[in-house]
Amino acid sequence: MDRELQGTITLPEEGRTLASGEQEFVLDVRTQDMELNMGPQHPATHGVMRILVRTDGELVTGAQPHLGYLHRCAEKIGENVEWLQYLPYTDRYDYLAAMNNNIGYSMAVEAVMGIEIPRRAEMLRVICAELNRIGSHLIAFGTYGLDLGAITPFLYAFREREWMMSLFEKICGARLTYSYIRIGGVFNDAPPGWLGEVSRFCDTFEVKWREYYDLLIENQIFVGRTADVGVIPRDMALDFGLTGPMLRGSGVDFDLRRDMPYSLYEEIHDAGAFKIPVGTGEKGTLGDCWDRVWVRVVEMMESVGIVRWCLENIEPGPVIGDIPKTLRVPAGEAYVGIENPRGELGHYVVSDGDKVATRCRVRGPSFCNLAVVEEILSGTLLGDSVAIIGSTDVVIGETDR
Amino acid sequence: MDFQGITDRLTAVGAPGFLGVDEPRGKDPEVKGDKGRAGDPFVLVDPQSIDRFLVVCRDDPKLRFEILADLTATDPAADDENLWVNYNLLSVSHRHRLAIKGILPKSEPTLPSAVAVYRAAQWHEREAAEMFGVTYRGHPDPRNILLPDDWVGHPLRKDYEFPKEYHGISCE
Repeated sequence: MDRELQGTITLPEEGRTLASGEQEFVLDVRTQDMELNMGPQHPATHGVMRILVRTDGELVTGAQPHLGYLHRCAEKIGENVEWLQYLPYTDRYDYLAAMNNNIGYSMAVEAVMGIEIPRRAEMLRVICAELNRIGSHLIAFGTYGLDLGAITPFLYAFREREWMMSLFEKICGARLTYSYIRIGGVFNDAPPGWLGEVSRFCDTFEVKWREYYDLLIENQIFVGRTADVGVIPRDMALDFGLTGPMLRGSGVDFDLRRDMPYSLYEEIHDAGAFKIPVGTGEKGTLGDCWDRVWVRVVEMMESVGIVRWCLENIEPGPVIGDIPKTLRVPAGEAYVGIENPRGELGHYVVSDGDKVATRCRVRGPSFCNLAVVEEILSGTLLGDSVAIIGSTDVVIGETDR
Repeated sequence: MDFQGITDRLTAVGAPGFLGVDEPRGKDPEVKGDKGRAGDPFVLVDPQSIDRFLVVCRDDPKLRFEILADLTATDPAADDENLWVNYNLLSVSHRHRLAIKGILPKSEPTLPSAVAVYRAAQWHEREAAEMFGVTYRGHPDPRNILLPDDWVGHPLRKDYEFPKEYHGISCE
């Protein structure tokens, strides 16, 4: 621990005489700073992250995250394999939102190449991205309940996510690491009947969502554990570069899908198919854990709206452009940021006109969102620290890359 | 604001260290081996005054870049004498973005830290420092972040040599 604890607490040797004439009882306990290791294998860290917390009794007086246990040199690999070969590696940083990662990387390469992709491919991309966002938020919602001791919502969330994953299995053959979205379009067209099943999923999910909302989000015990806990004020959120639900939970009305639209999102927003939920401090202070979780849960329904719009407007057509097997990207560079379930996923790619990238930088939202934990954990109770870490919804595959 | 508007504003307020712009262009048939440049435009900034430049970007009412979206470095080639330092700023209130690049000599890769301007820079600078061997002057906590504390070398440099072993574990 680098920081020194300010001040010390001294207890009286003997208890005072109270007004009733009784002697005050003083416990023979001296509080002492204790350093606790949370992780690398701790259920609340959702992966292999280690947080060193210093506690004074039940009070956390300092916290220091230690990263790198899952570092797999993704950026170095990006400089050593061909453009198309790198795509499966993008699945593996935020493994709960692999479709979105595929889109981010493909769009960055397409930005350097300056190519347009077919409209049906854009539609399929948006459908997959939003279904994956629902799946990712279901995990965030379910495991957050689990962190706080509510086991039932987790089982329900995984039941719905199972259906989502089987939809993806039907379209691309994989359940977790898809590599479905390719540079120039998508890998293949949706199988017959697939879009109809997505529609049925949306119908079912809308009914279930209401149950989940009442079951966990409005639950008194849950509100008690999360309201006024881990407050991130607006200025701190911007200073730490938070994005996604973390930023919107702090009351900043900003979503890349609406404010810096890419793909078809401008058209979808103009058609009124989705709104951006922003935290209001309804149950406690603006920017507390409840606000962040609420934003994620409401976002799931907005994603359903986007998927429905696409299902109504999708038309037959090609799904991938004429892209050679060995891609040569013209010399140049581009930074493309897209709205992942966790925030802005940025890809900065530099090409020298060769078969491999000169630089393949990944800006993972979890990495930036986790940095704020160091700041907000100090001064909270140890029991709340689990609620705070869970509310950031980190995926360690992405912080460490 | 679009890119042109942002650069005009940077010139108008006299942003410290602002050197110019680099925009995409086609191949020049006069120059042999010219590849042209594709992609997005960015501004070139003197890395030694990057902290003061970022303060202008953050506080100017017309620019108002509240978020430091990304901070990294790039090694363009093993035989290149320079590294690049890259910044990417995002404005929530004006909904625009700016890519910034500084050219830093490999012989003396030090520049001022941006942590005093954006605290988001803290972890990004630790990562860029360990991966590229860049030193950020005035960083409050310059430890390794993803690599172990005793790691030798800077892995994302193009001339990096892969270790043969680590603590007795063969890496080959």
